[in-house]
Amino acid sequence: MSDTQNSSTAVSNPGATSRTFERITHEFMHIWQVIAALVLIYLVFFVLSPPFRSFDTMLSIFGQASILAVLACGTTVVLISGGLDLSVGSIFAVVGVSVGILLSEVDLPVWLAVLGGLGIGAGLGALNGIVQVATGVPAFIVTLGGLTAYKGLAEILASGRDLSRFPDAFQVIGSGYIVPMAIMFAAAILTGLFLTKTRLGIRAFAIGGNEDVARLAGVPVKRSRIYYYMVGGALAALAAIMEVAKLNFAMPARGQSYELFAIAAVVIGGTSLFGGRGGVGKTLIGMLIMQTITVGLSYMGVGTSYQRIAIGIIIIVAVYWDVWRRSTR
Amino acid sequence: MAAQPVLEARGISKHYGGIVALDNVDLTLEEGEVLAVVGDNGAGKSTLIKALTGAIPRTSGTIRFDGKEAHIETPTDAKAAGIETVYQDLALVNEIPITQNVFLGREIVRDDWLGRLFGVLDFKKMDREIRDLFAKLDIRITDIYRDAQAFSGGQRQAVALSKTVMFGKRVAILDEPTAALGVRESQMAMDLVRSLKDHGLSVIMITHNMQHVLNYCDRVMVLRLGKLTAVRKVSDVDGDTLVGLITGTIEGDVRDE
Repeated sequence: MSDTQNSSTAVSNPGATSRTFERITHEFMHIWQVIAALVLIYLVFFVLSPPFRSFDTMLSIFGQASILAVLACGTTVVLISGGLDLSVGSIFAVVGVSVGILLSEVDLPVWLAVLGGLGIGAGLGALNGIVQVATGVPAFIVTLGGLTAYKGLAEILASGRDLSRFPDAFQVIGSGYIVPMAIMFAAAILTGLFLTKTRLGIRAFAIGGNEDVARLAGVPVKRSRIYYYMVGGALAALAAIMEVAKLNFAMPARGQSYELFAIAAVVIGGTSLFGGRGGVGKTLIGMLIMQTITVGLSYMGVGTSYQRIAIGIIIIVAVYWDVWRRSTR
Repeated sequence: MAAQPVLEARGISKHYGGIVALDNVDLTLEEGEVLAVVGDNGAGKSTLIKALTGAIPRTSGTIRFDGKEAHIETPTDAKAAGIETVYQDLALVNEIPITQNVFLGREIVRDDWLGRLFGVLDFKKMDREIRDLFAKLDIRITDIYRDAQAFSGGQRQAVALSKTVMFGKRVAILDEPTAALGVRESQMAMDLVRSLKDHGLSVIMITHNMQHVLNYCDRVMVLRLGKLTAVRKVSDVDGDTLVGLITGTIEGDVRDE
């Protein structure tokens, strides 16, 4: 395919030419396979459905993907570190309701309400992490408990309250497609920089890859894990703030199953469910694949229930593909 | 042997419930020597190393480092004292690059506000130090950005051993450094072990290979069923005697006081 790439590697390292070449093309191929899958899926709908062919449709795919994509950036961090957070959908609900209360009842300035919401999300995420490292109960169970408990908390907070009609300055956060898209890209870039350029971020890959090696090498594994769950909670909170601003109301039923959509996008993008590998770029592409299918199918008149079946099948195909890829390595 | 020992452990024991994995073992490591620890499977070799480096809590025992009482309760304490350990199977993370593996747990952050505030890393400095280190130790790995799993067992062991030179100021502890290696790779790893001396390290090494004990080590201690049974200078011992001491066909001479 690209002999130039091969020969340039050979110059720098004659000893390991073929393996380096294999490795580089392997990683390179994978992200391109996912992008190719996205383009292919887009083209299929482009051919099949005339109304799908507009720029507005493309924009709406990005726009609809943005809120879940922000949440999924946090999920990416947690999964890379070998953790799992099933409670982010409920954190989303608590934060949505809390920000609604802060704005409409406490009358906080918008920026302070937003900060408060982010703080609550980070705090609930941290609580997931603290309970895990303190008790040794597996992430699946602790965050499954969190899923239920935080949902109950959101319902208690919201009961008897009308949380709607927020200040214009707040509604801007969720209005149209451009602002949410800008927030999505900003969140993805910052999360990406965190994962690749900072000490805490790169340690997520080591902890997810082999926790014992990381601990013996002197990495404070427990403390680091708590931080990753905090990041996950804060990004779930940001997503919640975006949605409350967009809908102009808050209710505890929002966020249901979002954790599963986020995990699906992360996995479709190619981040490992078992930790140690992945990235937010992949997650964005995975989220776009999911949204393209959802939007495309609804343009073709396929109902929501059938869309869910389609997404379910794609998740399994994506993981099968990943397993197959690893076995042929 | 006028100089005082680098490391002196007294009465190290480790009990798991009622099971005694390690029973009152003494260990002395002289400056600049390579000390072999041999013994059959289950003799307590790995337990001894883990108890010494704080990877597992000791039931009892004291450690003196450079003649002073040392409080080594966690792997981090051991590292702070200048003891660097290479664990068998737990030396490198497969999923991350060589660069990140070498500096894992001791990453260098940038010397500016980005580093201080956000822990932004100084990749240039770390890469430079790794290339210098590999050049110094004659480790021929140029593509340091590849994930560890892409390398051969010998190369991986070389990387793991290089960490002891980079960070181990005084003592390197090696758990079967040639366990998974072929003949030629074992020899390269052992040459590297011997060169650790030249970099100011004293070495404790677990091994099953009697040839490596006789060719590369200065002294050897034999563990059997959790007890220390013999300590010999390598120049005073041969392979058959060692095997006899390990299996128990030759009576040891270290007694409980």
